[in-house]
Amino acid sequence: MIKDKKKIFEAVVDKVEKVSRSAYLIETDLKEEVDVKAGQFVSIYCDGLTLRRPFSVYSCKASKIGILFKEKGKGTKYIKSLKKGDLVNITGPFGNGFTLENKKALSVGAGIGYAPVAFLKSKSDECGIENMLLCGFPNKNEIPDLVKADVICTDDGSYGIKGSVLDAAENILKDYKPQIIYACGPLIVLKKLVQTAQKYDIPVQVAMEKEMACSIGVCRGCVIRVKHDGNIVNKTVCKDGPVFWGSEVVW
Amino acid sequence: MGILDVNLNGLKLKNPIMTASGTYGYTDEYDDFIDVSQLGAIVTKAISLNPREGNEHNRITETKAGMINSIGLENVGIEKFLETKSPVLKSKNIEYIMNIAGSSFDEYVRLATICQTNNIKAIEMNVSCPNVKSGCLEFGVDENVLYDLVKSVREVYKGFLAVKLTPNVTSIEKTGAAAEKAGADAISAINTLKGTSLKVNCINGKFVKTMVQGGYSGRGIKPVAVNAVLRLYNTVNIPIIGIGGIEDIDDVIEFFAAGAQAVQIGTANFTYPDTALKLVKELENYVVKNGFKDLDEMKKELRR
Ligand SMILES: Cc1cc2nc3c(=O)[nH]c(=O)nc-3n(C[C@H](O)[C@H](O)[C@H](O)COP(=O)(O)OP(=O)(O)OC[C@H]3O[C@@H](n4cnc5c(N)ncnc54)[C@H](O)[C@@H]3O)c2cc1C
Ligand SMILES: Cc1cc2nc3c(=O)[nH]c(=O)nc-3n(C[C@H](O)[C@H](O)[C@H](O)COP(=O)(O)O)c2cc1C
Ligand code: FES
Repeated sequence: MIKDKKKIFEAVVDKVEKVSRSAYLIETDLKEEVDVKAGQFVSIYCDGLTLRRPFSVYSCKASKIGILFKEKGKGTKYIKSLKKGDLVNITGPFGNGFTLENKKALSVGAGIGYAPVAFLKSKSDECGIENMLLCGFPNKNEIPDLVKADVICTDDGSYGIKGSVLDAAENILKDYKPQIIYACGPLIVLKKLVQTAQKYDIPVQVAMEKEMACSIGVCRGCVIRVKHDGNIVNKTVCKDGPVFWGSEVVW
Repeated sequence: MGILDVNLNGLKLKNPIMTASGTYGYTDEYDDFIDVSQLGAIVTKAISLNPREGNEHNRITETKAGMINSIGLENVGIEKFLETKSPVLKSKNIEYIMNIAGSSFDEYVRLATICQTNNIKAIEMNVSCPNVKSGCLEFGVDENVLYDLVKSVREVYKGFLAVKLTPNVTSIEKTGAAAEKAGADAISAINTLKGTSLKVNCINGKFVKTMVQGGYSGRGIKPVAVNAVLRLYNTVNIPIIGIGGIEDIDDVIEFFAAGAQAVQIGTANFTYPDTALKLVKELENYVVKNGFKDLDEMKKELRR
């Protein structure tokens, strides 16, 4: 096992499974042991398409990795169509991943943003770090069967707490008093979560998304504006991120 | 002597497969995937006199047959390149061509002068940049402007000088001939085509539009590029480096048949990061398998 080395894998599909109305789980065997941090991602070649599709790693055991994905367009349609035994070309792992700190934590996953924080939760469990997992979905049908969370909310109240993860998060901040927050989800949710957390003076690590081409920091296609040493600079989501401190991101 | 050796008007490379500017970083960024030093050369991201931040908003998007980028020439600037990047290239034995971009005549000349002073062996002029003085028209669209620009760079720079032509012109023969007349050692063709992607989504009766306007590259531009190379081959006597939509060995052979002496791989590096090195190996097999002594002999036969 070579740490921190990005590679090209001709992986074998173990299974593709529908886990909710629009989400799927794909498990693949890279045929080689890899070391992946929660929040890191891989890029998948999708039949005939020019750009690879980036996905957070949801699970990783020895040479096997799992990805939880939502069907959106051509790429995800292709991945969903894969069958056991098919080959799939995967590059990675890319990016910095979350920095798991030895602090009482709250992890927030909005929608498919559940994937990387669930992976982080499994890592914090291994280290015996207290980490409450909160996730939110539009409704009951969008909750993947495999979800294991401490708190689940749905926008329409069809399961768990009614309302957005943001409201639930604020209540948890007051009562549970985490020292750090890890989060992934739509940009607007991350932005509001960071604003809320600032009121309580709690730092947030956010996993960002941006359309990507190279995944390794060379094309400069995926940059966001980030505060750094008193200046505002470009940082790549693929290499400098995808995880940033909420307080550094220029929202 | 290897069978893939090429000599581009004095620039000797171990093979004709290079990687295109803007798709390969500055140095060894692809080293995790392949041994970059085995490529003919890499062409660096465009380097300007001062660091540039590039454009805001969405910078890339996929199209049905490629992609559009509007990176806006974000780069570290020549000083930092010389300080931090060129030592890496040297220590790793990576052959490279430095792609330079200016916003005025003066800036190009100063860049070329710095390259001359620092013994940079080869440069490629990116002339698809807006010329602030002439209302931001690209330098490369007017053959007279291009002639003057290349000539002033040629006067201060003695190394290998390639001029990278833009396809966004009425006659690429004219700009190619101007570059040759001004003293270029080679022509790189082509840079990206002008393109716009306007993706429209209707969400609850409201239209959400995402626009990326910039340079179109990849699979879809290959016929345009092959056409440009063929026309240039019939016009100029300096070597042509073919660029545009190259993905596999058949594409490489097609460019050689059109008259290219070497090729550059751009967008395909994103699809498969090992594309360029794979093509080096496949080209070697192709030459041997078809019974040629070397690439030069095969090219001669191709152009009969
Ligand atoms: C670091 C990172 C991690 C991600 N992790 C996950 C994950 O774990 N599960 C999951 O379901 N999705 C994840 N995404 C989003 C996922 O990459 C897109 O949903 C997917 O690329 C859509 O591809 P498509 O061909 O089906 O859709 P299309 O809409 O046809 O895609 C067109 C283009 O847009 C890009 N694109 C579309 N949506 C996004 C998006 N939200 N973010 C970035 N690029 C996008 C595609 O890569 C492609 O280049 C992640 C994105 C990033 C950047
Ligand atoms: C993301 C991206 C960045 C680019 N940046 C540059 C650049 O800095 N200078 C330059 O001369 N060409 C640049 N190009 C153009 C490529 O070098 C090449 O000419 C073009 O993409 C066509 O080749 P392709 O179809 O193989 O990609 C860029 C292309 C892409 C896709
Ligand atoms: S995707 Fe190329 S720099 Fe991030």
